Amino acid sequence: MIRFFATFVLLLASLFAVELTPFAQRLFVMPWTDALAQLSTGLITLFDPHVVASGKVIRSTQNGFAVAIEAGCNGVEATLVLLAAMLAFPAPWWSKIKGIAAGVVAVQGLNVVRVISLFYIGQWNREAFEWAHLYVWQALIMLDVLVVWLLWVRMLPPDDRDATPPLPPPRAAIASA
Amino acid sequence: MKSPAAPVTRPGAPLTRFIIRVVAWLPVMFALWYLAAPVLMWPVALIVRALADATLHDLVTGVDQVMATLTFATTLRPGHALARGQVEVEVNLLLYSFGMPLLAALTIAARERTWKRKLFLGYLLMLPFIAWGALADFLKNIAITASPTVTAQAGFSSMQREAIAFAFQFGALILPPVVPAVLWVVMHRGFLERLRERI
Repeated sequence: MIRFFATFVLLLASLFAVELTPFAQRLFVMPWTDALAQLSTGLITLFDPHVVASGKVIRSTQNGFAVAIEAGCNGVEATLVLLAAMLAFPAPWWSKIKGIAAGVVAVQGLNVVRVISLFYIGQWNREAFEWAHLYVWQALIMLDVLVVWLLWVRMLPPDDRDATPPLPPPRAAIASA
Repeated sequence: MKSPAAPVTRPGAPLTRFIIRVVAWLPVMFALWYLAAPVLMWPVALIVRALADATLHDLVTGVDQVMATLTFATTLRPGHALARGQVEVEVNLLLYSFGMPLLAALTIAARERTWKRKLFLGYLLMLPFIAWGALADFLKNIAITASPTVTAQAGFSSMQREAIAFAFQFGALILPPVVPAVLWVVMHRGFLERLRERI
């Protein structure tokens, strides 16, 4: 357990440091964020044609309201957390690859819902937007990451699940031993 | 081997029920957290004040808490050398503590007998990380985002500014959501084992 958490923290800090470099920002984060804005706008236009995307900005052509997808809202950090958690956990590489692929879809899928919901919450009420943006959605995305990780751990082959350090027996078991 | 008396459970049901309980508790916990923030954040103010006194005494003259906001009074001047007044920096502690309602919802939803103790322990363990976020936010303000006159007075080297930027980003984007999740996993290993078996 300690080794898992130490590896997790080290990996997370390293991945995050790499993400912050200008190189990673230019090559991955910015194109990713722009693509997220395009995808969200594409989905919105299925039911609301008065929306356009420009770079990382999604704008209503009806009332001019716009949201810019900034760091923390593009789901990259949440994905890095999941990536670090899966890489740090003892499991076969093939399980990790499958888990990461499915996890990225789950996290980014919910993140698209976040972006779209914030776009409309912001047009409705500024205070509600701030709350949803700064606090509520952050917690929900992390809950998503946690649930995906729990499901993935459950789906690991038994041998790999058993590779985790055994839990201490419950107190009742100790007392009756 | 499965015991013949073992209850039949639907696949995925325990985890689904757990998630539903978490989502149901979240709004309640968010409301309580917001209302109780001035009290919950009081220890954070103490930690930040102690750290500022110990390490930034040449820059920080005082740290005051009003509701969930910390105000750093500094020795820095807002404009040129003759300008009056000192720079004050406000930091919203809610930005760094929104993991508290998540931890509370997860802990209560797990329905462990020791949930109150775990909740209190989790709260205590989160405090230093919130203090990290607050201090890094303050340092980012005076070292990076303030006017050049102020950042020059602060006197941080480019290497130090890089470190502050990283500490701020890590303290703002990673720690607030990750710390409660990690603490919850660490404190609920038994629950996770049962969930894993019955999931």
